[in-house]
Amino acid sequence: MSSPDPLFRVGQAVRILDLGKPGHVRTPTYVRNKIGLVERCCGKFDNPEERAYRRRGNLVYLYRVRLRQPDLWPGYDQHTADTLDVEIYEHWLAAEPRDS
Amino acid sequence: MNDHEHDHHHGAHEPHTPNEDDDVQLTEHEAKFLALKSMLIEKGIITAAEINAQLQLNEKKTPHQAAKMIARAWRNAEFHARMLADPKAAARELGIEVTEAKLVALENTEQLHNMVVCTLCSCYPRSLLGEPPAFYVSKAYRSRAVREPRKVLGEFGVQLPDDVEVRVHDSNADLRYFVVPVRPARAEVLSEDELAALISRDALVGCGVVEAAIGRKLPAL
Amino acid sequence: MVERLVSDIGGLPAGEIPLEERRQLFWEKQLIATVNLLTKRLDISLDEYRRSTEEMSPDHYMSSGLYDRRLDGWLSLLFERGIIDPDEHRDRTRNILRDGTRDVFP
Repeated sequence: MSSPDPLFRVGQAVRILDLGKPGHVRTPTYVRNKIGLVERCCGKFDNPEERAYRRRGNLVYLYRVRLRQPDLWPGYDQHTADTLDVEIYEHWLAAEPRDS
Repeated sequence: MNDHEHDHHHGAHEPHTPNEDDDVQLTEHEAKFLALKSMLIEKGIITAAEINAQLQLNEKKTPHQAAKMIARAWRNAEFHARMLADPKAAARELGIEVTEAKLVALENTEQLHNMVVCTLCSCYPRSLLGEPPAFYVSKAYRSRAVREPRKVLGEFGVQLPDDVEVRVHDSNADLRYFVVPVRPARAEVLSEDELAALISRDALVGCGVVEAAIGRKLPAL
Repeated sequence: MVERLVSDIGGLPAGEIPLEERRQLFWEKQLIATVNLLTKRLDISLDEYRRSTEEMSPDHYMSSGLYDRRLDGWLSLLFERGIIDPDEHRDRTRNILRDGTRDVFP
């Protein structure tokens, strides 16, 4: 179930979802339910959640999402400009309305 | 004991491989590997010669490959631009074949310090850099580098000014990364080999830095 | 609530980072060469191997070094695919340990 074109644009605010999916997934727990900005679209890749079980799923878009460290860790020190970039597959992302 | 390794049989036998581990006791895991290797060979899936050939190939993959590439970039602005735009193609210019799907060069600046970790396993651009350092694959680094990068850097002796942004890259899916340290001032006075020698394996994942300027010490008059 | 994967350790409390370099043993170098070849020969993806490692028990995972874990992850996969018989492998391993020799090839 992959879109022909990327769903998200560079600079767009996105929320990294927690799909509650058991088994092999590549979305670390520490970034789930966090909001960041799309840094780039990396292209389409074999869905690792299918490949891990020798199933050929559709290709899925992979994105790099940039997060603010203070958003990830309560009590992150005074360096509030520090960031973290993580790679997330399209089905783990949702557009986040920018109204905050 | 074991005097077989001092026999050198040629001809019909597979080439004899010297074993560097003669001073290390055989462990259960090594025995498990040897059992696996013999079964794979007997089944004709791979041969001992192929393992040796692959091993020789792997020996060539060291951080020095990336260090040479970065040194070239520091001495040649056009190559520098090419390396940032397409590091795999730039590596190929030096005869380095990068087999990972995507490789990204993370350039440090005066305002930005990049650091790389794979929290989920040990992803690392092995075809460029060889096997990762012990610290990189340790559970402590994988757990702490994302949460307290500056404290981790401090343990490597890297202190950064407060106005420098630290950006951690979790290599958790399909991209692989290497860090390009800040070009030292007056890098052009050194040769490519001399510059490459300044770039450590630790610096290539952002856990080390390169000196800020070449030749701070003036020659004696 | 789905349980966290054993490998999903980003941000968890942890101790000192080992800074000293560890000599790579010859068998470990051979292991890497072997799995490089097997990946191509048997068309095994990195994702399958990762999944295999994630299925280890937390105790096994947390107490293993990288190469031991890689070997065990690969063995598990090869057993699963029916390429290597686990009983035969176990017997051969035991014999090698009993004989105490690395020279197991004719």
